[in-house]
Amino acid sequence: MSASRPPVVVIGGGIAGLVAAHELARYGVDADVYEAGPRLAGMAASHVDADGFSYDIGAHFVTNRFVAALGMPGPFHVLPRYGEVVHLGARHHPHYPVGLLGVPRYVASALSERVRRPDRDLTVAADRFRHDYGVALAEEVALPLLEAWSGLPAEELSASVIDKIPTGLAQTIWLRVAQRLTRRAVMIGYCKEEPSATGVHHVSPAGGVGAICEHVASQLPRGVQLEHPAQAVYVDDGRVVGARVNGNDIETDTVISTLPVHRLPSLVQGTDRLERFARFRFRGLVLVNLKLTGRDLLPDVVVWTPQGFPYFRVTETPLAMPWIAPEGKTMILCELGAQPGDDVWRLSDDEAVARCVTTLGPLIGDIGSRVIGASVLRQPLGYPVFALDYEDDRADLAVNGTGVAGLYSSGRNGEFDHILMEDTFWRLRRLVPRIVSARLDASTTRRGGSRGESTQGRAAMT
Amino acid sequence: MNEGTRQSAMTAERSEISMVPAGCCLCGGQDGRPIGVGEDFEYRTSDQSFLAVQCPRCRLVYLDPRPALSEMGRIYPDSYHAFSFDEEQFGVVHRVRSRLEARRLLRAGRGLPSDASVLDVGCGDGFHLDLLRRHGPPGWRLRGVDTDERAVAAARRKGLSVELSTIEGADIEPGSVDMALCIQTIEHVADPVVLLQAIARVLRPGGRLYLITDSTDSPDFALAKGRHWGGYHFPRHWNLFNRSSMRLLAERGGLDIDELGTTTSPVNWTYSVRNWLDDWGAPRWIVDRFSLTAAPALAVFTVLDGALTVAGRGALLRVILRRPS
Repeated sequence: MSASRPPVVVIGGGIAGLVAAHELARYGVDADVYEAGPRLAGMAASHVDADGFSYDIGAHFVTNRFVAALGMPGPFHVLPRYGEVVHLGARHHPHYPVGLLGVPRYVASALSERVRRPDRDLTVAADRFRHDYGVALAEEVALPLLEAWSGLPAEELSASVIDKIPTGLAQTIWLRVAQRLTRRAVMIGYCKEEPSATGVHHVSPAGGVGAICEHVASQLPRGVQLEHPAQAVYVDDGRVVGARVNGNDIETDTVISTLPVHRLPSLVQGTDRLERFARFRFRGLVLVNLKLTGRDLLPDVVVWTPQGFPYFRVTETPLAMPWIAPEGKTMILCELGAQPGDDVWRLSDDEAVARCVTTLGPLIGDIGSRVIGASVLRQPLGYPVFALDYEDDRADLAVNGTGVAGLYSSGRNGEFDHILMEDTFWRLRRLVPRIVSARLDASTTRRGGSRGESTQGRAAMT
Repeated sequence: MNEGTRQSAMTAERSEISMVPAGCCLCGGQDGRPIGVGEDFEYRTSDQSFLAVQCPRCRLVYLDPRPALSEMGRIYPDSYHAFSFDEEQFGVVHRVRSRLEARRLLRAGRGLPSDASVLDVGCGDGFHLDLLRRHGPPGWRLRGVDTDERAVAAARRKGLSVELSTIEGADIEPGSVDMALCIQTIEHVADPVVLLQAIARVLRPGGRLYLITDSTDSPDFALAKGRHWGGYHFPRHWNLFNRSSMRLLAERGGLDIDELGTTTSPVNWTYSVRNWLDDWGAPRWIVDRFSLTAAPALAVFTVLDGALTVAGRGALLRVILRRPS
């Protein structure tokens, strides 16, 4: 099919870029993956430190369904448990969100909101949260958390930030029962593209999530070009005609970019259709990893801290993944919302660690005597910020794609969406056949000497 | 905690199965939606997870990715039941099944000439050929093909005429076969369309194909498709049909449909329950109440599935196809 066609150019050697090339190969379409850095995996990279603790960059939810879809041979760890609690007013409310039903005030306020007809469109996150959860729960839990990881007042955020994951209360309870009976961390929610089920649980490949990328890369017929930064994408008359990679111009009619979408305007030449994406912002995170003596220090894997802490979430990952820390030791990850250049971002490592250790007392009483080490990571691309001032453009990207024929923006950062690796996978599985057919249509119309509007419309669908 | 560590240690000890991508054999689509994920609950040939997907257009259920052809020796262990379904091991279950299946086969072969040529495609250890030899007309010429040498050796030990080959590679005159049997075989092959086309070539014009395969129209599929359905037989069943996808298959294979219905089998029900109990850590003595040798469970599910068959929702598709004259 593709013998006479230039290969698709895929920008980025993270999970999105690798899966894109892998899916294209199923249709016999050649794709070259270009990664600017010296190694694979992008945001999915993993490493082990000298003390025997292993880290992934950020949290990754990987299911048996996802690794099965990739045909990954393993070995895998099966996570024995996963759960979240909310810490509020010196109390833990377990089994988030079910546990919050034990607070009569929240239930009363949620019920009264349910029967009240909203007096305006719920397009603002603050309104939507108050309506969906009740004013009390919204004000005390949901909105403070949203604002901490978004870095904007909830009045300035779009309601579309709320994940619509169709897991009802009854199903949630059933999945929790299954989790208990099977002693596996059944995934409850999180995946937007495919539903939760008792048979779908969290796993972790030996070698961390980076091993997933290595597996996919090993299946690619043309491999991955490391240290090949993309420098330009050329567009003529609203259609991709080429790219510049590592100093070389390449002819191509299709580019799949996995870069943060707000970087596309400066990369793409020959069109101003992408300028609107330049305003998109990501919230940064300062990730403080404390290495501690002991285990089972937190009441559950994740503790949400909506009030009274400098971080919005504390995670004891070894509760879910016992193998990532040496026996008798554990790791506590504190996540501080930050913006590159702001006060939190500019804290020195020691200051950031001190800020976490001195405030963890209410959660871990003897924290001071347990610390045996720490590391700090600054992640500028923590969360996409669903700001109201560019919501129309964000929604347009989500529905119609880039608006340039042959240019696709994929993956968590490319789609500007808060999605899992597995979501990226299923979205690409559905997108790639459309890319393939758009290429066929484009070559047909080119041979006919004109470019049909319908072709462009379909090509732009992402 | 210890549980997780133990499971992961177990996983690490095995070498795993290499997999290749698979699309829909009916439309060529590569975009199946995930519907079930599970493991090799029955033979534990690996600890790998396998994914069943469904074609959004054809409704075909298939394994994607699936084991590479080089892995056949791994995924069909020596203890595989189709290599040796004998009376000694299976006792009363063997006797009952033999009687039922002989009746079904003879019904499928009604009206064939007294010297009919019958070919069993994917004959395993020759169970069905042996039934026809014992209960069918003495003049029928019976032959089988199978690609597994252990199965072929078992069939030959019974004195049956069986070739170690695919049907495409076998020494069979085109247009020579009066009735082909394809009994719980089509779900095991990579490309059922190619298999049907090959069968169509060896059938004489008007010759028939009697085909049995697991049905995804059945209630046991609907109940257990997320993980434990016996019909998945992870990772050995690669293509699973319902009525509508079977019609498409017949069309692609160049055969006309004479009959398309369902028939009774307790096996998928039994294994759906067994897989569920086993996977959720039930005591071994309970799990073992559900197996191919467990007559009480098989009896109960035979009655249940018999009732469902009357309603057109039995566990197996029963299809009679005909090469156009």
